[in-house]
Amino acid sequence: MIAILHQRQFDQTVRAYSADLYRYAYWLCRDRFTAEELVQETFARAWKSWGSLTEMAAVKSWLITILRNERARLYERKQLDMVDIDLQDLDIPSLHQAGEQLELEQLLAELPESYREPLLLQVLGGYSCDEIAAMLGTTEGAVMTRLTRARQALRANLEGLDQKLGHHSTVKGVK
Amino acid sequence: MSNSMDHLISPREFQQTEMNCLTYRRLKLEDPRHLPNAALAHMRACPACERFSIEINESEAHLAAVLDVPIPEGLADRIILQRKLHGKTNWTWLANAFSNTSPRLYALAASVVLTIAIIGNLSKNFNSQDITSHDYAKLAIAHVKHEPEAFTNVRDVDPEYLRTVMHNFGGTLQAPLGRVRYMTLCPVAGGTGWHIVFETEDGLATLILVPTQKMDVPSIQASEDGWTAIAQPGGQGYYAIITHSAESLKKVDALVKQRVRWES
Repeated sequence: MIAILHQRQFDQTVRAYSADLYRYAYWLCRDRFTAEELVQETFARAWKSWGSLTEMAAVKSWLITILRNERARLYERKQLDMVDIDLQDLDIPSLHQAGEQLELEQLLAELPESYREPLLLQVLGGYSCDEIAAMLGTTEGAVMTRLTRARQALRANLEGLDQKLGHHSTVKGVK
Repeated sequence: MSNSMDHLISPREFQQTEMNCLTYRRLKLEDPRHLPNAALAHMRACPACERFSIEINESEAHLAAVLDVPIPEGLADRIILQRKLHGKTNWTWLANAFSNTSPRLYALAASVVLTIAIIGNLSKNFNSQDITSHDYAKLAIAHVKHEPEAFTNVRDVDPEYLRTVMHNFGGTLQAPLGRVRYMTLCPVAGGTGWHIVFETEDGLATLILVPTQKMDVPSIQASEDGWTAIAQPGGQGYYAIITHSAESLKKVDALVKQRVRWES
């Protein structure tokens, strides 16, 4: 009976969160196959430990934690390089030369992972700064700083595009 | 007298105590959708911050749209199937499961096998140090098979953007190729390339621009699973055209040659 309940819970969880997890994985690794592999592995691991899950309300953040661990394991196994660079070192040659959505895609992909990951967790996952801090093992203040810098970087580049195309000017007045 | 340790306040709560434009904007950039009441009150009283808020909300909407990448078809079904297959260990159960199951489950199982095969093949190709120019057409086909949503997503890209991208890649678009339905940056061997889908008289055609890889042969062609591709040197690396048939490939190749001048 419990086994059937677990299976039902698991299947409902898969249907509820696999899309969000896939998008999160995709924007972390920027590869569709790797993203799907990560999501499959995440749920496979989750199923093995399903009996130990005590709080269904926390299932999504639990899955995200598993996915992050799986990713670290995958990168270790494949010995892929994870390079985190400063924003000022980014070389984005065609940044101001395509449509806004394409620009945003490119810029997002080029954001340092330490900025991109909290942004993904907030926009895709809807988590608060303190929840993100707990997931990433850092402080709320650090998350707030990274989110601010991530958005500033996105805005600065999109404003550059707007100015180049002669669109509206941005807000300047500060009390 | 209260003990300050009795009430540990978060950084966001602390910032409410000193609300001004700078604090408001910092809070808005940190978490645009969850603002303290003091921040909302400030925004309502400050036209500049209200405009700032509108701008941030607009860029958040763009961001959400960009993050909303298509989900592989049947992803949840495959995960659930995986759970079903691994939930039991004896072969009798497996045999029973398949003897009693619907054709849909067979299809799903087949898609799992197919996906694994494609992943294995593609990963091998992308990670291999032995990729040569002779593999570029096959890689292009694998790329197109890997992103079927490129044919179903219609973004209607401004032809000017294609002209600019082409220019950056090292080509001059002398006349439009056709209606550009889809254009995105993709990971390709050695870096990032452009994946472009456009309409032609013979149906949809895909153009992939790979800036970091040079070709040491004048052209290479491949056919696989109903796809035909040609890869040729161009711009900063090579470009590949992929269509559904050899006949349409020939026409699209001629069209690209006619309308794009490559800088050597």
